[in-house]
Amino acid sequence: MDDIKTTESSWQSGIAKNITFIVTKDCQLACKYCYLVGKNEKERMSWETAKAAIDYILGHEADFPEASVVWDFIGGEPFLEIELIDRICDYLKTEMFRLGHHWFNSYRFSFSTNGINYHTPAVQAFIKKNISHLSVGITIDGTRQKHDLNRIWKGGGPERGSYDDVVRNIPLWLEQFPGGGTKVTISSADIPYICESVLHLYSLGIHEVNINVVFEDVWQEGDDRRFEEQLFALADAIIDGGYYQDYACSFFSEHIGKPLDPEKENQNWCGAGKMLSIDAAGTFYPCTRFAAYSLREKKPIIIGNVRDGIDRNKLRPFLTLDRLTQSPQQCIDCDVASGCAWCQGENYDAADTPTIYQRATAICLMHKARVRANNYYWNRLFRKLELEGEREDYESNKRTVEPQNC
Amino acid sequence: MLQYMIILLDDASTSFCHYEVPSGERRLIHLDDLRAAIRLAMIENLTIQFVYPDYELPQEYQEVIDTIDHSDIKPLLAVTPDADVVTINGWEIDNKSLSGRVAVLRTAMSELLAHTRAVKDLLAVVQRLNVVITDLTTLTDTNREAYMHWLNEVGQTVVELYINGQSPQFNLLTDRMMLAAMNNCGAGDTCITLAPNGRFYVCPGFYYDDPENDVGDLRRGFDIKNRQLYKLNYAPICRQCDAWQCRRCVWLNRHTTLEVNTPSHEQCVAAHLERNASRQLLTSIRQKGTFLPDKPEINEIDYLDPFEKLQER
Repeated sequence: MDDIKTTESSWQSGIAKNITFIVTKDCQLACKYCYLVGKNEKERMSWETAKAAIDYILGHEADFPEASVVWDFIGGEPFLEIELIDRICDYLKTEMFRLGHHWFNSYRFSFSTNGINYHTPAVQAFIKKNISHLSVGITIDGTRQKHDLNRIWKGGGPERGSYDDVVRNIPLWLEQFPGGGTKVTISSADIPYICESVLHLYSLGIHEVNINVVFEDVWQEGDDRRFEEQLFALADAIIDGGYYQDYACSFFSEHIGKPLDPEKENQNWCGAGKMLSIDAAGTFYPCTRFAAYSLREKKPIIIGNVRDGIDRNKLRPFLTLDRLTQSPQQCIDCDVASGCAWCQGENYDAADTPTIYQRATAICLMHKARVRANNYYWNRLFRKLELEGEREDYESNKRTVEPQNC
Repeated sequence: MLQYMIILLDDASTSFCHYEVPSGERRLIHLDDLRAAIRLAMIENLTIQFVYPDYELPQEYQEVIDTIDHSDIKPLLAVTPDADVVTINGWEIDNKSLSGRVAVLRTAMSELLAHTRAVKDLLAVVQRLNVVITDLTTLTDTNREAYMHWLNEVGQTVVELYINGQSPQFNLLTDRMMLAAMNNCGAGDTCITLAPNGRFYVCPGFYYDDPENDVGDLRRGFDIKNRQLYKLNYAPICRQCDAWQCRRCVWLNRHTTLEVNTPSHEQCVAAHLERNASRQLLTSIRQKGTFLPDKPEINEIDYLDPFEKLQER
């Protein structure tokens, strides 16, 4: 549901093919809000499967005409498989070069990590080897209290938060990726900690906080009001503290909360289907969210595998999906529709029938609360800037923002 | 709005569309369910189409069936003078028994291409011929070309029949000339199916795939979730397409693309080959004299799959 300033993770956004290797379904953590309901220690990608996927993809260059590629590695926790990833990346580089592939020198390796293994020699060696083609985001949710509320170590015994294990690696990460942003996920229980958490992340030196409310139907009565109050407080803190000059929080965007034109603004929000995700069995998905371990209620949507290739018929619904066809009338008529996001995988998982054409609306009240706080933020900020004679300067130097898919 | 109720009288009822009937034991619909379905159809103003197995029904069933105005779909083996639609599976066809009837011919593409003469002969005797290509999803570049030539060849026979004063109706060639808008599968939108288990389904194919995939039953009534997706306006590829004769089979859509509102590439290509052959047919007939003067020409187009046009935008 967020707009964010341009980041490393959105490199070549819109013109790059995003190809995701699900290298493992294991993770050191058992985050309470994690949508990956089927995590396990068994499904680890083999080198043979990874190689077969690469050979298929690079061998079908005409089917992947995008100018650039983002090779994305996720889990579970991807850095648990750093040796495999290192081998994959070496092979990708040599093969793209050997084949004269149009992606050679127009590629990036992208990681979203829990940060726990970031400092280890194997991960550091990989980072140093690939730094010029690398994006790494570390997920830290905010204050110790907020972070440890959800991001706990897996296993029996008393709950143990992971804050200390992550925060110790933040300085090293920011040294290597000075513009690095973190991703924060908000569920119902996190609402009281939003303001202090964002400010805490700023204090750690993280200048960009990409923050989302979960798409799942987890919201309690009154959450929207509590959310709004937190955002009001955050807006005041950012404006009064002058953070708006050097820091960004994706909750606040000038472009949200407007009605959408039914013809000119009818495009789908989500990029599912334009991406490709590969799991340990060599199965292809339109996005990781359609793999079995991501789904609560529905069967996975499989679009092929490394042996048979991609079944293009399975992609047709994704590539022809538009906003109006999947939206209920309340969304089509909504006066504050812009910036209200959806996840195609969650839509599918929550739908009454096995379809991607039924938009889930669990975040409706949360989006409207965000819009109210957002209006407050910009009205207050612009007035302040005008009174201080800095509006023009701010407008000419402000950070670019663009929609974040998920 | 629902207008039709298809009632499968038996699990072994004949197929009149793309779906296959599994070879299993007979299971006749319960007589009480049959009565309840007829009563519901009367209440909901639905026209009933009964689909028959290849054996004779008990007399008490026929008596209940005759309590409502209806259509009968029967297999060729069980055809009786009162059958409104006759289904044909195979090529041992006694054309005399089909004279003046509506026939549904279910065939694989290769078989169809190999029996041009039989199709031409059928067209000369039946009132209407619907051909259902049962392996449409295997359409390749090779048999696509052959299919196009086949359509044009049979089209010549249609021209000759028109010249001789006949008005053959052939879904693959003449429907597009007659239509002014999409006219295809109404499953889930205008049409619902009652299976022998007393439950409703989007179409018979959904029942044979999985009997648990019902959309209601005789006690609860209809409950078609996401019903809008069966309507043309909710089909991004189809709503801007003018291959109006396309079957637009939602069951095939579900099988090939996993969505009921999205056709496969092969379905689109086949429908456009038929559309283009219809265009040629219309031109050929009009060269012989005035024909359908109120209908516009069918435009020439440079694609066979409207999905590709959508992606260019």
